[in-house]
Amino acid sequence: MKFIRVNMTDKSIRVQDVPEEYSGLGGRGLTSIMINAEVSPKCDPLGPENKLVVAPGLLSGTPLQNTSRISIGAKSPLTGGIKESNAGGTVAAALGRLGITGIIIEGQAQERDLSILRVDKEGEAGLIPARDYKGMRTYTFVEKMIELYGKKTSVLCIGPAGEYRLTAASIQSSDIDGHPCRAAARGGLGAVMGAKGLKALIVDQRGQSPDPIADPEVFKEAARAIAKAVKAHPEPGHLMPTLGTAALVAPLNSMGAFPSYNARKGVMNGWEQISGEALAELIKKRGGKTTHMGCAQCIIHCSNVFVDTQGKYVTGALEYETIWAMGGMTGIADLDTIARLDFLCDDIGVDTMSTGVGVAVAMDAGYKEFEDGNAAIEMVEEIGRGTEFGRILGNGPAAVGKYFNHPRVPVVKGQGIAGYDPRAMLGNGVTFATSPMGADHTAGNVIGLCLQGKLDPLKAEGVVEISRNLQIAIAAFDCTGHCFMATVAVLDPEAGEPFRKALSAKLGTELGPEDFPGAMGVRVLKAEREFNKRAGFTNKDDRLPKFFYEEPLPPHNTVFVISDEELDTVFDF
Amino acid sequence: MKIKVKLYGTLRHRVAGYHSPQGLEVEIPDEATAKDLLDTLKIPGHRGAVFIMEGRILNADDKLRHGALLDVFETIHGG
Ligand code: SF4
Repeated sequence: MKFIRVNMTDKSIRVQDVPEEYSGLGGRGLTSIMINAEVSPKCDPLGPENKLVVAPGLLSGTPLQNTSRISIGAKSPLTGGIKESNAGGTVAAALGRLGITGIIIEGQAQERDLSILRVDKEGEAGLIPARDYKGMRTYTFVEKMIELYGKKTSVLCIGPAGEYRLTAASIQSSDIDGHPCRAAARGGLGAVMGAKGLKALIVDQRGQSPDPIADPEVFKEAARAIAKAVKAHPEPGHLMPTLGTAALVAPLNSMGAFPSYNARKGVMNGWEQISGEALAELIKKRGGKTTHMGCAQCIIHCSNVFVDTQGKYVTGALEYETIWAMGGMTGIADLDTIARLDFLCDDIGVDTMSTGVGVAVAMDAGYKEFEDGNAAIEMVEEIGRGTEFGRILGNGPAAVGKYFNHPRVPVVKGQGIAGYDPRAMLGNGVTFATSPMGADHTAGNVIGLCLQGKLDPLKAEGVVEISRNLQIAIAAFDCTGHCFMATVAVLDPEAGEPFRKALSAKLGTELGPEDFPGAMGVRVLKAEREFNKRAGFTNKDDRLPKFFYEEPLPPHNTVFVISDEELDTVFDF
Repeated sequence: MKIKVKLYGTLRHRVAGYHSPQGLEVEIPDEATAKDLLDTLKIPGHRGAVFIMEGRILNADDKLRHGALLDVFETIHGG
């Protein structure tokens, strides 16, 4: 239970025991509560006052499977509010095995200085000069790190976009195979890291000093029960390993809620060519991998490896949101182009979602035609080259909209929406509008409830309450490092007991349903809301862009109908 | 009545002779519900089956309509 505080201004590193006020916190809970406590809400997100907090979940590094999610938080240069973005990969488990609760990057290096922070297998941290790696793309960079430090190395790094401090820059996370194809992509945290002068955090995976588990026997039993529930559940047990999250493409189109052509339509022409089914078939035919283990300790294997016609690696972890943003929003019904775009974004270190939406806004504004795959590739390449247009696109869809003076920009708090149109899925509209993170697909996604028939996607009834409860639950699970795919099996209150037991056994405190997810989620959301309020956000920021209220979305031809007053009650707790 | 069925996710591997993208033409009794269709296809009791007909998500006991296209999925909570 220790913090490593790294001051980039004077290059000092301080190790401290976790102070009382942060005890029992992990993942998003730690990043958000710490940012709220220690970062001035009005500060320049790219200046020395901001802090970048890297926190494995409360259960990362324990033997519980699927617990290698890393949370990264800061004041976001994209939204101007608080940000937590989490990613899979191997680094969270590696930090957990070293008993590291958080790494806090403070201050700011001198202009043009660049360092790597390395944590070795004893948990010792040191800064290494990284000027030689300046401008390097992430795949080459990770290869070099693995060459230097060995295969058991986890990498979190930025690419050129982060170094340029572009506000849609991501922090890429290396997967089991050492590919930086996983990302803490949202909110421009790559730019914060770049502004600090930090190219990467690299962590040895062979640590053997995890925090003790308070009751190892109970923990073991609970972990076994969770694994059983995950394996037996049709979604993480069968669907996820077969198709991954790309399985969403078909139902979203069938329901008419797949934002296409910059959210002009709810069904994309030719979506069958980019569906999860088509993706799995193509990957298999070419000898790539479906059912791929992307993250440490995963028993679900939702990931994939996309290869070209020669069987050569193109990209990994090609997921729904990327397929939607790069395919649906742009009208590009071609998996090879989408996979290429995914690789480029990962390699340059920029959010695939913000970038796809940004490309779509540019196309909608008439800069290029929808469906033009080559134009999309060229636009994304420009981010890597740092051209004028590339820098605009790398600053996200709102910057693109401003540049073209185009009014149809699907963002909330400056962050691009995800692959669920608010007009055809009102519940996700409520989450997009109100999440302290800006429009976000992980903050409280109602798609599962819609498909289960528990919530009519087109009806306003009950959506506020459902979004509230989901946002609370997700905020709590985001503290644990548990992958959402596995969480699905323990999300229902009845199925949640073993998970609570595991968490209680780890922490040594008996948690009831009112404590987890309840109180923990509320505490996190309150801290996030408080930060945003002090940063200057008001209820007017909890709204969708105007066109969602005015422009009917085919095929249902509905608009977003949740009133401002109702939206203002989401956080009545 | 006759309806056209398209299966997605792992469901398409559970029905012998299923060919995508053509789908299946299924003959079922006039009053048949979405749930009856699963029985007809011999994928009964599948936890989390979702039926979407003309853009609308059906309940398991909703009646089907002659000539309609029915998409059948499995529940998924996001990604
Ligand atoms: S299910 Fe997917 S995202 Fe979750 S841990 Fe496994 S590979 Fe990673």
